[in-house]
Amino acid sequence: MNTEAMSLQDFRGKLKEMPIDMPGRELTDEDRVRRAKKAFAQKLNGHRAVDMDTCLQCGMCAEACHFYEATQDERYAPVYKFRPLRRFYRREMSPMRWFYRAFTRDITIADLREWQHLVYDACTGCGRCDMICPMGIKISAAIRVMRHGLAGAGLVPSEMRIIRDEQRDKNTLFGVGAEQLKALVQKLGTQGIDVPLDRDQADVMVLTTAIEVLLFPDAFAATAKILNKAGADWTIRSDAFEAANVGVITGDDPTMILAIKRIVEKANAIGAKTVLMPESGHAYQTLRWDGANEMGVPLSFDVVSIAEFVAAEIKADRLNLKTQSNGASVTYHDPCRLSRKGGVTQQPRDVLAAMGLEVRETASNRRENYCCGGGCGEFVLKSAADLRQKAFEIKKHEIDEAGADAVVTGCSNCRVNLMIGADNSGWQTPVTSLVETVAANLAD
Amino acid sequence: MTLLEFASGPGLQWALWIFVLGITWRVVGAVFLLSRKDISKPRHTNTISAGLGAVWSRSAPAPAFEKKIRFQHVTGYAWHFALFISVLFFAPHILFFESVLGFSWPHLPNSIILVTAIIATAVLVALLIRRATHPVQRFISNADDYISIFVVLVPLLTGILAFTHFGARYETLLAVHLLSVEVMLIWFPFGKLMHMIMTMPARFQAGTAFGRRGVKA
Repeated sequence: MNTEAMSLQDFRGKLKEMPIDMPGRELTDEDRVRRAKKAFAQKLNGHRAVDMDTCLQCGMCAEACHFYEATQDERYAPVYKFRPLRRFYRREMSPMRWFYRAFTRDITIADLREWQHLVYDACTGCGRCDMICPMGIKISAAIRVMRHGLAGAGLVPSEMRIIRDEQRDKNTLFGVGAEQLKALVQKLGTQGIDVPLDRDQADVMVLTTAIEVLLFPDAFAATAKILNKAGADWTIRSDAFEAANVGVITGDDPTMILAIKRIVEKANAIGAKTVLMPESGHAYQTLRWDGANEMGVPLSFDVVSIAEFVAAEIKADRLNLKTQSNGASVTYHDPCRLSRKGGVTQQPRDVLAAMGLEVRETASNRRENYCCGGGCGEFVLKSAADLRQKAFEIKKHEIDEAGADAVVTGCSNCRVNLMIGADNSGWQTPVTSLVETVAANLAD
Repeated sequence: MTLLEFASGPGLQWALWIFVLGITWRVVGAVFLLSRKDISKPRHTNTISAGLGAVWSRSAPAPAFEKKIRFQHVTGYAWHFALFISVLFFAPHILFFESVLGFSWPHLPNSIILVTAIIATAVLVALLIRRATHPVQRFISNADDYISIFVVLVPLLTGILAFTHFGARYETLLAVHLLSVEVMLIWFPFGKLMHMIMTMPARFQAGTAFGRRGVKA
């Protein structure tokens, strides 16, 4: 397959064009602080309270954070990134608030502005810190609450606000909407790849992402080929195809719920038994694990990642793959939200093994895997470019040490970030996707 | 009323009341901040087992992290073991526990207790120095971090002095030791010594949350 795609350079140019100072909502400083606190209060449930009360401030989490490791800047210790939330908890919600209030400083607008850098630029929400904490504190969940607070305060960074507003108001991302998807489907049709678009009934509703449509149309084409080969009863809906959720990324609840709702309502309308998620870690995590909770009712369909789908089809003998016999090796990069936070860890490895590829693990892998450096929307932030590159260097070093011929990943955002990092540093190791690798090895 | 009479009488009683009521208040308060039931379709349903697994597995770091946190890992174990042996297996302590609980258990020789108490004190001092000098720990530390170390360190030191009869009359040293323990009991529910109560529930909830996603916590 060779579907025409936007070049990485053009995409980077598109990102660079996004203003870093787009005026946001006009709020007084007092309003921002009040709204941040309101968001904190909404998200601080019993689980987070136990976390706040249990933290020993041992600082071990710093040793799991790629941003701390890359910079040795103590502000990037994950425990510090949720400091305002802990202060809020202690002053306003803890059973001991009557005592702590006397000794705990209130949150100020200066705090919120300082933490904007710490929770958007310097945290990808990868959750590696969750894995090192001896207390079992879900540090990344606390930092996610910080993003909710900052979103409530109108302090989402400009570039993220632009794409959030676009998704909320236009149901497009990076300018990709129904028309662009239809154009891609038409183009694939000319290449003999049938994509059943906008069917009113189907067992499987497939989602994709703007990133795939723009940069990696081959990944979408590969998904179509696999589904057709497996004989699936499927469709993709031009009015509800976007799996990415900028509401989750920014911490903006209304946008997050709206984006989930668009998918859920359409899947229900067409009677889908399965919603098949594209290669996007955060999209999978959002619908698979947050979808029902945000909708308030269990989902009437299964949410399945393309990696899980392919692994299951191979296991059921419905999908046959050619086996490589040339000793090719790959390193699998675990997308944090698919693996550590999603439980899809073994399936991609099984799929690679089914193709006869030798999987060479990085020193940190599976649930301890290093993030690509640009997850959770971080890759759009110009202010985070240096940090991102430094984190990427850690990843690059581990991949080089593994010594495989190529890197395969199951997330297009990871793929973009790895490619940008490679572009910046002249790194030559090919970066590709699991689904494309599978499609290239479909047996006749 | 002598200092020792106060320390072993009303002082101890008040400290124990604050200790018990404070812990209860803090735990009940956290329970009242209930979390919504997770209604996503679980990948694994045996979340209790996953929760208990995390209680165990978080007792040691994953191999990918161990080298980076070896100091804290080793000193953490050394500190807790040495402290618990010193507190729980010293004959006079057991007599006190028997007076409260109504039952007792065998004690260890005093020479061993002296060694464990010295180890516990030395490790705690090392942890204090690390907190004051390590860039991350120094940066993130607040008053609670230091107070919680001092209120545990002082009973250890005064206990060793009382045991060795060093520096003052035994009755005075014992009274000071008891008072320092009472200060620790009073501080316990207010500061991070509460981790003694909260650690297992926190690990358990992490285990269940990860477990339903099919991830080993």
